[in-house]
Amino acid sequence: MIAFVAFSLRRAWQGFRRNGLMSVAATATMVLMLVLLSGLIILLTGLNATLKSVEDQVQVVASLRDSASQSEILDLQTSLRNMPQVSQVGYVSKDQAYNDFVARHPDQVDVIKSLPNNPMPASLRINLRDPNDYVDVAAYLKNQPGVERVLNIKQTVDQMVTVINILRAGGVAILLVVGLIVLFIIVNTIRLAVVSRADEIEIMRLVGASDAFIRWPFVFEGAIVGLLGAVITIGLLFPITSFLSPYFKVLPVDAGIGVGQNIALIVLGTGVGIGVLGSYLSVRSYLHR
Amino acid sequence: MSAAPSGSNPSKTRDSDAQPITDKAPVPDQSAAADKPAQSARGARPALPLAEATAPTPRARTATGPPGGAAKPAARTETRVPARVVVAIQGVTKSYPNGRVALRGVDLTIPEGDFVFLVGPSGAGKSTVIKLLIRDELPTKGAVLLDDRDVAKLKRSEVPKIRRKIGIVFQDFKLLPNKSVRDNVAFALEVIGTPRREIAPAVDRALRVVGLTGQADQLPSQLSGGEQQRTAIARALVHNPRLFIADEPTGNLDPLISWEIIQLLLRINEMGVTVLMATHNAEVVTAVRKRVVALEDGRIVRDQVAAAYEREG
Repeated sequence: MIAFVAFSLRRAWQGFRRNGLMSVAATATMVLMLVLLSGLIILLTGLNATLKSVEDQVQVVASLRDSASQSEILDLQTSLRNMPQVSQVGYVSKDQAYNDFVARHPDQVDVIKSLPNNPMPASLRINLRDPNDYVDVAAYLKNQPGVERVLNIKQTVDQMVTVINILRAGGVAILLVVGLIVLFIIVNTIRLAVVSRADEIEIMRLVGASDAFIRWPFVFEGAIVGLLGAVITIGLLFPITSFLSPYFKVLPVDAGIGVGQNIALIVLGTGVGIGVLGSYLSVRSYLHR
Repeated sequence: MSAAPSGSNPSKTRDSDAQPITDKAPVPDQSAAADKPAQSARGARPALPLAEATAPTPRARTATGPPGGAAKPAARTETRVPARVVVAIQGVTKSYPNGRVALRGVDLTIPEGDFVFLVGPSGAGKSTVIKLLIRDELPTKGAVLLDDRDVAKLKRSEVPKIRRKIGIVFQDFKLLPNKSVRDNVAFALEVIGTPRREIAPAVDRALRVVGLTGQADQLPSQLSGGEQQRTAIARALVHNPRLFIADEPTGNLDPLISWEIIQLLLRINEMGVTVLMATHNAEVVTAVRKRVVALEDGRIVRDQVAAAYEREG
C-alpha cells in the first residue's frame, strides 16, 4: 500500500516534470482561474460587508414627549431590548439633542438660541437586526404613551432593502456562474493534459496495469497542479490585497484583512479539489470501455 | 526456459487441400540461432547464461535466408507431453453495433509453443481476433479461452491479470517518445507493480534477447525502425508472457529489417513462448513455413501446418 502510494507519487511527479509544457499550461490556467475566483470572492465579501453596515444604520427614531416620566422611558427601553428584532437601544436626552443640532448646523445657532427653551425632544434610537422589521417596531412604538411621534422612513427602508437584496442575489449569481466557468476551464485543461498522454495510458492498459495503477498517478498529478496553482495564487493575492486595502479603508467596514485566511483556504481547496476531480474524470473515460 | 514443440504440431488441418503434415518444417537458421552463440553485430555484449538469449547477427541471418532443409534444432529435443493449450477460440462470432460482422463462427486452438501466422486481407478479422484475445472486445457469441480461462467472463478487475500473460507489439511500435529504450521496457514492469529491484535485471535480460543492450539509453527518436520494433518486442517480453502477439510487426519496416524481426520472433518462440503473428507479409510467411491460419470475411478458410502465405498446390 505504501509502496503503491510512493509509486503513484513518484509517477505523478515524473509525469508533471516530463510533460513540461502541458503542466505549465495547466498550472497557469489554474492560477488565472483561481485569481479570478478569489478576486471575485474578495469583492463580494467587501460588497456584503458594506451592505451589512448600511443595513445596520437603519434606525427607528422615536421622539419622546417632554411629559414622559423617567420610569416610563426606562420601562420602554427595557421592553424594547426584550424584542427579538431589536439589536440596540440608544437614548438621546433633550440636552444632547440640542448639542447635536448646534454641532450639525452651526449657521443656525442664532435661530435656536433665540428660542425661549430647548425645542429638541428627547428620543430613542433603536437599531434593528433586520431592516425588514422596521414596520413592526415602528407600529409598536406608535402605541406607547410616552412616544410623541415615530419618524417615518418606511419607504426609504423598503427601497434600500430591495436594492440590497438585488445586489446580494446578483453577487451570488455571478459567483455561481464564474465558479462553473472556472470548474469547466480547469477540468478541460487537465483533460487536455491527460488526453495528450493517451498513448501512455493505452500502453499501460496493454501491458496489464490495473486501473488503480493507471488512475492514481494522474489523480496525484492533478493534485500537484492544483496545489502549485493555489500556492502561486495565494502568493500573488497577498501583495495585491495589501496594496489595495488602503483604498478600501474609506469603507465603513473591514473589507479584506480578516478574510485573507478564508480566501487562502478556499483557493487551496478549490485548486486541489478541481485538480483531483478533473484528473479523475479524464482518466476514467479511458478506463471504462 | 523449456523448449516446446513449435509450429510443427500435428493435426490442425481444417482445409481439404492442405499440405501433407510434416513434423519437420522449421527454418534452417533457427537452429543456428539457438545452437551457436551468435556474434554480435554491435560488438561487446556480456556473456549470457542462455545461448538463446543472444541476438542474431542481423545481416548474416538475412543472408542465409528462408527455405531449404529442415534440421531440427537440438534445443527442441526435450519434448513436453502433451502440449497445453494456450489459446482456444470456440465458435466465436463478433458483430459490431453498426451491423458489421467481423468474425463468423471461428474456431482456433493454439497449443503451447506454437508459432502461428494469422493471414488474410484487410478487414478479414485478424485485428478482431487479437482484440478478443487481449479482451479489448468481447465476443458476441462463443468463447475465447486463454490458459483455459474464458476472457469474456473475467471481472473488470481481472482483465489486467490476463493481459500480463500476453505480450503484444504493433505496426506502430507504440513507444513513449520521452523515455529511453531502457525506461520504455521498464515501464511495462513498473506499472504492474513489480518491485524495483526485480525490474533492472529483467529489463537487461529482455534487452539482451532483442540485442539492444548498447542502445539502452537512447530515445526512440534516435533509433531506426527496426530498433524501435525491437524495443517494443523487449517491452512485450519483459514480463515473461505466455502468449506473444505481433500485429503486423513488419508493416512499417523494409524487407531486410522485417527479416530481422521475424528471426527474433522465431527465436522467442524457440525460447518456449507461443507466438501469434498477424501479417500481410507473404514473402516472410511462405519462407518461414510455420502454421498458417487464413481468415477471409470473418471465417477461417485455411489452417495449415508448415504452409505458405497463399494456398499451394
